[in-house]
Amino acid sequence: MTAVTHNDMLPELGALATIKELGAEIKLFSVRLLNGGRQDYLPGQFAFLSAFGVGEAPFGIASARDNGGTLDFAIQRLGSVTTRLHELGEGDIIGIRGPLGNCFPMEQFKGKNLIVLGGGIGGAPLRPVIQTVLKQRSEYGQLTILWAARHPSLLVFTDEYDEWREAPDTKLHLTVDQPDSKWDHNVGLITELLERVAPEPENAVTITCGPPIMIYHVNKMLVERLGYLPEQNYVTLEARMHCGLGKCGRCNLGEKLVCVDGPVFTMNDVGEMLESYL
Amino acid sequence: MSHIPVAERRTKIISREQVFQWLAQLAGEMDLVAPIDVDGYIFYRKIDDADEVVLDYTKPVLSIKDVFFPPTDKLFLIEQPAGELKILPPAHSTKQVLFGVRPCDARGLQVLDAVFINTEPSDPYYTQRRDNSILIGMACHEMGATCFCTEMGSSPDDARDMDLMLTEVDGGYTLESITERGSQLLKRFSLALDDFSTKNTAESALPISRYPYPSQERWLDHFSDNYWEDMAERCLSCRACAYVCPTCRCFDVRDEIQTGDDGSQIYARIRCWDSCTGYAYRRIAGGHNPRPENAQRLRNRLYCKFFYFSQQYGPDACTGCGRCIDVCPVGVDITEVLQQIAGITVGEQNNPEEVGVL
Repeated sequence: MTAVTHNDMLPELGALATIKELGAEIKLFSVRLLNGGRQDYLPGQFAFLSAFGVGEAPFGIASARDNGGTLDFAIQRLGSVTTRLHELGEGDIIGIRGPLGNCFPMEQFKGKNLIVLGGGIGGAPLRPVIQTVLKQRSEYGQLTILWAARHPSLLVFTDEYDEWREAPDTKLHLTVDQPDSKWDHNVGLITELLERVAPEPENAVTITCGPPIMIYHVNKMLVERLGYLPEQNYVTLEARMHCGLGKCGRCNLGEKLVCVDGPVFTMNDVGEMLESYL
Repeated sequence: MSHIPVAERRTKIISREQVFQWLAQLAGEMDLVAPIDVDGYIFYRKIDDADEVVLDYTKPVLSIKDVFFPPTDKLFLIEQPAGELKILPPAHSTKQVLFGVRPCDARGLQVLDAVFINTEPSDPYYTQRRDNSILIGMACHEMGATCFCTEMGSSPDDARDMDLMLTEVDGGYTLESITERGSQLLKRFSLALDDFSTKNTAESALPISRYPYPSQERWLDHFSDNYWEDMAERCLSCRACAYVCPTCRCFDVRDEIQTGDDGSQIYARIRCWDSCTGYAYRRIAGGHNPRPENAQRLRNRLYCKFFYFSQQYGPDACTGCGRCIDVCPVGVDITEVLQQIAGITVGEQNNPEEVGVL
């Protein structure tokens, strides 16, 4: 039998280096691993964060590599683990396990036009994609970012929008369902915005993260109205999971496990799954 | 699909008294887990007194999985002495002998091995317990009313997954040495190997299957059937089927706070059994639940057993022990599901004379 050399359920310890308010009940946590830690994570991968005494939960890593020795996580307060994380302060210690899961094939994306669609906190795992493209801007084609939320207060990374807008060949489109008095961008669903601004499907890929219903309608719009093929449409799926290692069984979509077969899929893969992700 | 490999095995016949003498020796040297009678119900339990062991039983109420994958397992402790946080991994498991293991339960361990040992990364908690355990099997002398191991490629005397195997015969028990680890255990006790005879065990004569085992294609075809909704009208989502199942292994992870006598607090990261038939199994923090209906959850469990699991890890996730049939409060019968998918109307079985004959 196999000799056990490693325990993947044991977290490493990390300090909350900085905590920034990102929006309503949303904070950006920068975590510095106490032992130096792994820096070989890739856009689309996730990690489990432990709030000791409560438990742990998976979060998409919200920063690309070389983030000054820290990993960023954009976390909305929703459940017990996120509530505890929101109560912590800078310098407090948390646990971190990862990186886990597959990643966006950034090498394959080179030379292509990219459409990045983020819905609410779903924008978090897309930030490393945007950062990677902006860092090697000439390697990729046009970058079109569609950023959506129910309300302006739920839009994430607002203080980075100017940098995104100013990058060459890069466009940012914002939309919300419920505008406030200061809102001067689009109002309405991300699919309506997408129909108006989407580039031609030739040599393009789309990358979407958001609520399942948004993923469904974005893909439907792309395929049925805009001429995209499902294999051009990349998504990262969220699922309840408790190990990230293909053991706990919780994140199955039919015979696929989101933690080890994903979280990144093309809509072609998703369409072949026996069970719906919705 | 039933098949027992022809193997050269070393056997001898020992008396019932010798079995108990041996058990007493085992209990004196290492942890011994064996079937005992608890208020009229048989359970595998860790015991000190070999005289407690029962030899005549059909199957224990719960499978042997609890020994390797306990209902609640402490993954590590988190200490915070004077502000400095420390993670304390668990103590290693100790050597143990599991006596009286039924073939269906040993098959169940092979299924769990596929997840916890053979698929990287291996799970250290389960793997250590497996490495430290010796399985002494006990053949069933008859199939229980709900047993269907023969449908799942095993048999009441299936010794494949054991280290040693006992089979009741006139005048005592045949003791077979199956693995080197089993032989080593015998060497350390009075049951020395030298008077074992070598015999070729012929392929076991297995009972004829009651119905054809459904192919993978049939599972694909029946995913959207109304059948699942009809079945699920009965299902209470109580999860009893998963808890008695030798192969169900889904779990939940969370922290527990333990307060010491001096008021100091220590956290324990625990994992507990959970089941996909429970309502909140797939619900995420935002409230979205991709499987809100009973029918979706019951279907998922059955597809996991016979369709998903084999694609993910290799074997089917069912050993035919029949415990889920025993405990289901509303009479959901997994063998009826197999017949439904195989395209046989329930009740239209083969000759019942052929059922359960060894």
